[in-house]
Amino acid sequence: MIDSVLSVRGLTLDYRTPGGTQRAVNDVSLEVRRGEVLGVVGESGSGKSTLAYQMLGYRQPNARLAGGSVMFHGTDIASLDRTGLQELRGNRISFVPQNPTTALNPAMTVGDQIAEVLRKHKRMGSAAIETRFAGLMEQVGLGQIPGVADRYPHRLSGGQQQRIAIAMALACDPELVILDEPTTGLDVTVQQQVIELLKSLRAARGVSMVYVTHDLPLLRQIADRLAVMYRGELVEVGDAEQVFTRPHHAYAKALLAAVPQFQAAPEATTTAAPGAPLLEASDLSIAYGRRRGFLGIGRSEGARVVPGVSLAIGRDETLALIGESGSGKSTIARALCGLVPPAAGKIRYRGEALAGRLEDRAADERREIQYVFQNPDASLNPRMRVAEILARPLDVFFGEKGRAVRPKVEQALADVHLNLAYLDRFPHELSGGERQRVAIARALIAEPSLLLCDEVLSALDVSVQARVLDLLRELRARTGVSMLFISHDLGVVRSLADRVGVLYRGELVEVGPTEQIYTAPQHPYTQRLLAAAIGTHGAPVAPEPEPQAILRREARG
Amino acid sequence: MVAQPLAEKPRRGAGLLAVWRSAPSSFRIGAILLGIHILLAVLGPFIALYPQQQMMAGRPIQGPDLLHWFGTDQLGRDVFSRTLHGGWIVMVLSISGTLLGVAVGSVIGLACGYVRGWVDEVVMRIVEAILSIPFLVLALLAVSMAGPELAGSPVLVVTAVAVIYAPRIARMARAAALDIVTRDYVTVARLRGEPTLSVVRREMLPNAMGVLLVEFAVRAGYAPILIGTLGFLGFGMRPPTPEWGLMISEYRNLLTVQPWAVFGPGLMLSTLVIGLNFFTEGLSRVLGRSPMRGAA
Repeated sequence: MIDSVLSVRGLTLDYRTPGGTQRAVNDVSLEVRRGEVLGVVGESGSGKSTLAYQMLGYRQPNARLAGGSVMFHGTDIASLDRTGLQELRGNRISFVPQNPTTALNPAMTVGDQIAEVLRKHKRMGSAAIETRFAGLMEQVGLGQIPGVADRYPHRLSGGQQQRIAIAMALACDPELVILDEPTTGLDVTVQQQVIELLKSLRAARGVSMVYVTHDLPLLRQIADRLAVMYRGELVEVGDAEQVFTRPHHAYAKALLAAVPQFQAAPEATTTAAPGAPLLEASDLSIAYGRRRGFLGIGRSEGARVVPGVSLAIGRDETLALIGESGSGKSTIARALCGLVPPAAGKIRYRGEALAGRLEDRAADERREIQYVFQNPDASLNPRMRVAEILARPLDVFFGEKGRAVRPKVEQALADVHLNLAYLDRFPHELSGGERQRVAIARALIAEPSLLLCDEVLSALDVSVQARVLDLLRELRARTGVSMLFISHDLGVVRSLADRVGVLYRGELVEVGPTEQIYTAPQHPYTQRLLAAAIGTHGAPVAPEPEPQAILRREARG
Repeated sequence: MVAQPLAEKPRRGAGLLAVWRSAPSSFRIGAILLGIHILLAVLGPFIALYPQQQMMAGRPIQGPDLLHWFGTDQLGRDVFSRTLHGGWIVMVLSISGTLLGVAVGSVIGLACGYVRGWVDEVVMRIVEAILSIPFLVLALLAVSMAGPELAGSPVLVVTAVAVIYAPRIARMARAAALDIVTRDYVTVARLRGEPTLSVVRREMLPNAMGVLLVEFAVRAGYAPILIGTLGFLGFGMRPPTPEWGLMISEYRNLLTVQPWAVFGPGLMLSTLVIGLNFFTEGLSRVLGRSPMRGAA
């Protein structure tokens, strides 16, 4: 008999919604063994978080336990009352949230927040708490920061905040830690550090962990066993290597196949044709919050996000910008389309100067540069039907409206492989991937020559990402549109871009053909970024290609 | 939650029934009161026993009896019949005044929230200046500025209500706009180079509708009082219009001998206002719980 810490048996949970009861978790049974890391993967809506929260004895107010049990050392957590749960939570089972910025109390110093946990559960005195705190900080790698106990959360970086949240979860020496997407909001280099930390903690203290995420390559690094959720059901559970290399269930195979591989694009990408670039920006300097003031009063230079960047996008070329959050990727795209007028520098489009301010640009210039936003939930007007959304650019740019645009709108929808029945639907009646397709269709219906794609995949699930990526490739091949593709996902970029620009703190530290950047990075920052990315993708590219090859082969099979 | 295939849209009627069942009781009470008032306003002139101006319908200054539920006034006019005739006047004036105020206010507020900059600053300072004037003084100002030839005209009453409401609505609408402007679909419209009014009308107004609807309902609930106050003070409708506030004013010297002449219209006015307020309070809770999305 394997020593199990927690066992879930036949767990079934329902959500009461205005539209009736929905089954979120259906008859799930699994075990968490002592000292192991159990990865729980699945797309959003697969019930993985609902399952994880139930392991803490927590249910959403509208959730109902329809059956089954969660046994933790002989007690059924699912049916425990409030005081019983308080005894358990934070003490023997603890939790690391997805977003530490909202999970930490902004009005309390981190020292007080951790002390609170210790005082409540272990009834420690001040002196004991102090020693314990120092020990915890040492463990999570924050020991060197002077006076960290007296800091408020906003004075720590995202990665440091997550370390604090982990320290808080470990404070009482729990037997089980539930981690809900603990690195999703973090940059790839920081992500790697957190994973290293979790690995070392597992080795040093033998804590069991349940790690919920949709990021498969990441789990490959840390998980001992893997549970795959699909539509509320546990479709596969088993040894991590086995699930990764020889998945049994069709969905698990599909999920693995969808992960953007850290590999070169299969077809040989043509380098941009020499000649005049489509768009050229020179010494672009962009600042936020700049004010002209009134008679010199209230004048402010603002925060300079991009101090001076020069880049060029050729015809039929896809240029990718990569870099951490805050490196100015989106800011550059916003300047190119005229949303943020640059403080200095020139933009030339088709060889002619392009005005910095959107209002000063001609209608055709606005039409030719189209922007696709990260989150289709926000970029589609919730009160407009798909047909209206697609018809707006036609009205504005071509003066076409009424019945005449119907064939064009239908064609645009068909181009992104959506059913024509969707024309009369509202965005909220579509799934995330379908919404992003509508957003792409809206951009393309204006017949642009340059598409600015700002993290267009990051709000989507992995398998959906792959399909939207395929769509982008197909549309690019057919329309010959140039792209500025902004992403933090290095795997996606490698498979799509002709050239890559690496941004670091607003400066373009390296630009070059994709393969050159990936195989022979020159700048130290690029090297670091790639190392971190390769780390999270589980298998290095150059020295040891086997696991990837197996993964690919299995995924195809 | 489990990702489900696109469900068939529930039928309209079934949805409304479900809303009614789950609505707070204040909403239901308000809806019933409001329904009765609307019914009376529409049917009142037809079911009233006497024309509203017929004198000597009974003995002058007579208490309630079977034929004259609210008794009669000095001229022998039947107060109940007059009250019934007055219902639609009060309703139409309140609703059109509020509607005008909401329309003007929301366009100003949304446009200011969208363009920002100095236009926004100037307009909002003017709005605040107007807001600092007590509303009754403002109404009297509007009435006196219109001059004597317009006195007693329903247009003037509607305008007065709109003038009072527009600045208040504008502030609400601007606050809603400041949130909506940050959404990417507004940015997309900007990138297309759509003119301000088009952005306000197509992109922002439909998304501010929830807020504006509640605001409209709340304001409409106070409009009868406002109109009644104007009528009572002699700045609203003129006699012999059977407007409730005006009737209360006309009959106040009968209070000791024939109190029903005041109580009757007063009762109607208060139940209308209570009904409207319950309804709107309930409505905002219904909307708050399930934000109106898509089909509306």
